[in-house]
Amino acid sequence: MKKLNLTRRSVLQGVGATLALPWLEAMTPAAHAAGGKPPVRMAAMFMANGVRQDMWTPAGEGGDFQRSPTLEPLAGLKSELTVLTNLWNQGSKGGEGHYVKTSGLLTCTTVTKTVGVDLNCNGVSMDQVAAQQRGKETPLPSLELACAPVSTGVDKNVGYTRVYGSHVSWSGPNTPLARETDPRLAYERLFRASQPGHGSSKRDLLLLDRVLEDAKDLRKQVGVDDRRRVDEYFTVVRSLEERLERASEPERMAWKPRADFDPSAKPEGKPDAHADHVRLMLDIIAVAFQTDTTRIATFMFGNSVSNQNFSFLDGVEGSHHSISHHQDDPDKLRQYQLINRWHVAQYAYLLQRLSEMKEGESSVLDNSMILFASGLRDGNSHNPHNLPLLLGGRGGGRIDSGRHLVYSKDSPLANLYVSMLDAFGTPLERFADSTGPLPGLLTS
Amino acid sequence: MLRAGLITLVQLAFCAVAAAQTQTAEPLNLDGAKGLLSSYCGNCHMGDSAIAGFNLDQAQDEASLLLRPQQWSSAARRVRDMEMPPRGQPAPTPDEREALASWIEGTLRAGVCAVGLDPGPQPLRRLNRDEYPHSSARVLGVHFNAGAALPNDGAGGEGFDNAAETLFLSPMHAEKYLEAARQSLDYGLGDPRSRADFLIEPSDDLMAEAAAKATLERFLPRAFRRPVSEAEVRRYLDLFAAADRDDAPYDEAISFALQGVLMSPQFLFRVEQPNVNPQPQLVSDYELATRISYFLWGSMPDQELFDMAASGGLRDPDYLHNKVLCMLDDERSYEFAERFVEQWLGTRELGRDIQPDQNLFPVYDDAELQAAIRHEPILFFQDVLAGERSLLELIDSNFTFLNNKLQKHYGFHIKDLGQNPKRMEVPEDSGRGGILSMAAILAVSSYPHRTSPVLRGKWVLENLLGTPPPPPPPNVPELEENHGAVAARSLRERLEMHRRNVVCASCHDSIDPLGFGLENYDVLGRWRTSDKGMAIDARGALPNGVLFDGPKQLKAVLLERKDLFIRNLVSKMLGYALGRGLTLTDQCTIDRIVDELKDADYDAHTLILEIVNSVPFRYQPGTNPEARVILTEAP
Repeated sequence: MKKLNLTRRSVLQGVGATLALPWLEAMTPAAHAAGGKPPVRMAAMFMANGVRQDMWTPAGEGGDFQRSPTLEPLAGLKSELTVLTNLWNQGSKGGEGHYVKTSGLLTCTTVTKTVGVDLNCNGVSMDQVAAQQRGKETPLPSLELACAPVSTGVDKNVGYTRVYGSHVSWSGPNTPLARETDPRLAYERLFRASQPGHGSSKRDLLLLDRVLEDAKDLRKQVGVDDRRRVDEYFTVVRSLEERLERASEPERMAWKPRADFDPSAKPEGKPDAHADHVRLMLDIIAVAFQTDTTRIATFMFGNSVSNQNFSFLDGVEGSHHSISHHQDDPDKLRQYQLINRWHVAQYAYLLQRLSEMKEGESSVLDNSMILFASGLRDGNSHNPHNLPLLLGGRGGGRIDSGRHLVYSKDSPLANLYVSMLDAFGTPLERFADSTGPLPGLLTS
Repeated sequence: MLRAGLITLVQLAFCAVAAAQTQTAEPLNLDGAKGLLSSYCGNCHMGDSAIAGFNLDQAQDEASLLLRPQQWSSAARRVRDMEMPPRGQPAPTPDEREALASWIEGTLRAGVCAVGLDPGPQPLRRLNRDEYPHSSARVLGVHFNAGAALPNDGAGGEGFDNAAETLFLSPMHAEKYLEAARQSLDYGLGDPRSRADFLIEPSDDLMAEAAAKATLERFLPRAFRRPVSEAEVRRYLDLFAAADRDDAPYDEAISFALQGVLMSPQFLFRVEQPNVNPQPQLVSDYELATRISYFLWGSMPDQELFDMAASGGLRDPDYLHNKVLCMLDDERSYEFAERFVEQWLGTRELGRDIQPDQNLFPVYDDAELQAAIRHEPILFFQDVLAGERSLLELIDSNFTFLNNKLQKHYGFHIKDLGQNPKRMEVPEDSGRGGILSMAAILAVSSYPHRTSPVLRGKWVLENLLGTPPPPPPPNVPELEENHGAVAARSLRERLEMHRRNVVCASCHDSIDPLGFGLENYDVLGRWRTSDKGMAIDARGALPNGVLFDGPKQLKAVLLERKDLFIRNLVSKMLGYALGRGLTLTDQCTIDRIVDELKDADYDAHTLILEIVNSVPFRYQPGTNPEARVILTEAP
């Protein structure tokens, strides 16, 4: 493996304003022998509670659009940005205001109303569609990150378990994917996965074989209903086994990443301040993409109905969800927009980072599709029409970015996913309620 | 209490029963219910073209409901949740909705319960993020938190993260379990005491392989919570042998085998033998020991429980009675109290999603105070359970748990209490006593920057009384008592304006007054008589005409509704104990326990003992889903 010129900085020891992980700045593009086209990466960033509508949508269409106030932080990234207007997620209509619009965001399905027993999103999220086809090409098939742990309890007012509000990635109808919320653990996980054939992995395979035998026996022992749970266990152990097998044969990985890990750059843990926490998680995504540890990620700024206190922003007093119920009160609307804008600024930070990571003539951002989305339009009315959607990056040259694409009212969100999956290299005919690719998004 | 010999089983045969008691002031009778059904549901659900096969022509009497219990149970839920009648159709009033839903449920329950008790589903339960580290620490005899890196579990059923249905697994779990087992074993092998506890060392007289076998023979039954077969021991001995062949040192090879045990689904899941007979049957003694210990300790059975399971002594009612009380008295019950209370009352979110604004409340920026606030309801609940106390003390009591900082926070000084919270009687008229006056509860039912009577009223209805208000109708904004344009009015005036809207009033008339009764407490639960220069007005008027002023009278009002409170608490506790969501037939078990509690003056021990002795807790269902357990009272 190529030795990289990584310098260590200790910004993380003193948690201050600059929390960027040191490796991001230290990694210089190494002269790289391996050829081939850089792979396409894909991420979806979920923001809870919708947007202030009149400050979101830019004026003008196509390449000739004016940034809206909320999109101001993306000023320097206009050429890498695609703004999407008038897409909606029909499957997440009704039910209630938040949970169905979160679990259904990347599946475009209607989740089953339940406090637990019938947990079912009735689909697979688009990131996992991609991961299931091409996730084997990287040490981790996909990466699921969040800031808040799964929300406690079930919401008896509306009759949904909060599991729905805490997950956007679903590998199957009954299996939401657990998210990592601690940046240190997330970093360790990436690092472990990226180390091919370290010490004991051969013995680990033997152990996992033993465990899989146990699971097979247990499957015979339990009743019909429990077999699904045992199968789930079997699947996750098997997936780890496959990963360890792959890791011991690094030559099977097609793309040689241009940067390697610096294990000493590990973050300290979960910072107290939300803003610092978000930045670290975004850094994790950036480094995961740059090192090609995974090409697929999802991130939740907050769980749905997030009550994150945003008083750390000048001019904001109170929590996210309660402010989003603005009732057209001017002061609430003002604060709501500030919170939206802050999220967009974090998104811009990630895009900026990725754009600084060079891959030959292009950057990681050029080879990425970074979706920013909320599951509902306006926090007052909770509807999934005209969702706030941004797409950053050029998808490996497939996306002619720098435009504001305005579609006819209520065009399916699923069409966007059909196009993104095409650009990712996992094309499919149909996804949920799609009617085809999203016209005009992809160049060819 | 159950006496095994007196139990007989019968096939379920539904019979007509009188309409059951409902929770509302004016329960419906059959004619009243039929009237509502035909006025509001008849348009779509009568005649040959009845939608969804739900035909009211077939509902002529109570017995006909029992022919389709699931369908009717779902109908009751949909009426209550305002899903039915669909929007645009004539809709019943909120009282009519509640009355109809209660009538359907009561009718179903009376019919279903008359034929015996159902163990209900007993799904395979994975150890959750709290149970896993306690279990692995216990089998290894180490103080090591192996669960720190695991993702949090979501909640299902009655709102707890031990509900089998939401304990799903992600690929991340597999790698974390592998890593956690390795770390735990490294820790255990490095600690002489725990090493001696789980490891048998090879010696001149004991070959490495024989020592490994002896280690596994002792370790496996602990880890799997039951006796193991020769073949099972051999499997893990094979792992040892494989490492041994690589010339791994003994520690490394045995650690490898034990790592396999800790990764086994037999350890990670609470596995019970399925019942292949048609009738329900008692779980095995080992399974019962495991159910009890995960209920009361959130961890493995202790050696005594294992021994009693082995000897059959666990079935002795007197032994079990005493053992349960000892377990409640044991410090390990803190784990149970913490997990139950923090999820029941929502205080787990304190410091997560809910965070009082430290700029506005700098006093909160104190780790010692925060810890005391967090521990208060847990220690209090643990004390109520362990002592011979009434569950009604949860609503009002003359004691709580305080340290120096918390008593100062509450505005009084009893004596020097130091850093660790202690059980103290609270001064008369200090405004303290019962969970409603605890800072943790008052904070999680507030916004970060100010209190909200709406949130607090909703909290009381949902968590204490088990009657969550329905969600606001779509597109009607949540009542938000904001600053800005209307800031000149008091919060009370603004809420009153809001309630002039009849749609809002139908629910907020029940919600807001309860919250106003708690306005003497600020966001952090400190006592106050004014807020921003305005005197606190803590009066409330409930829709049924009951008036009260302040928390003391509010608690008296809630004690009047103790039936709702107790029923809700029993449901929560049963859901937690069973580790699954409750079913329609579980309501029969709840009815029985509620009756027992009334007879026992709401004695806390009775709640736990009745659950441990209940049919769902002690039985596995049979292959015939309609078979029931008939209990005969012992003479």
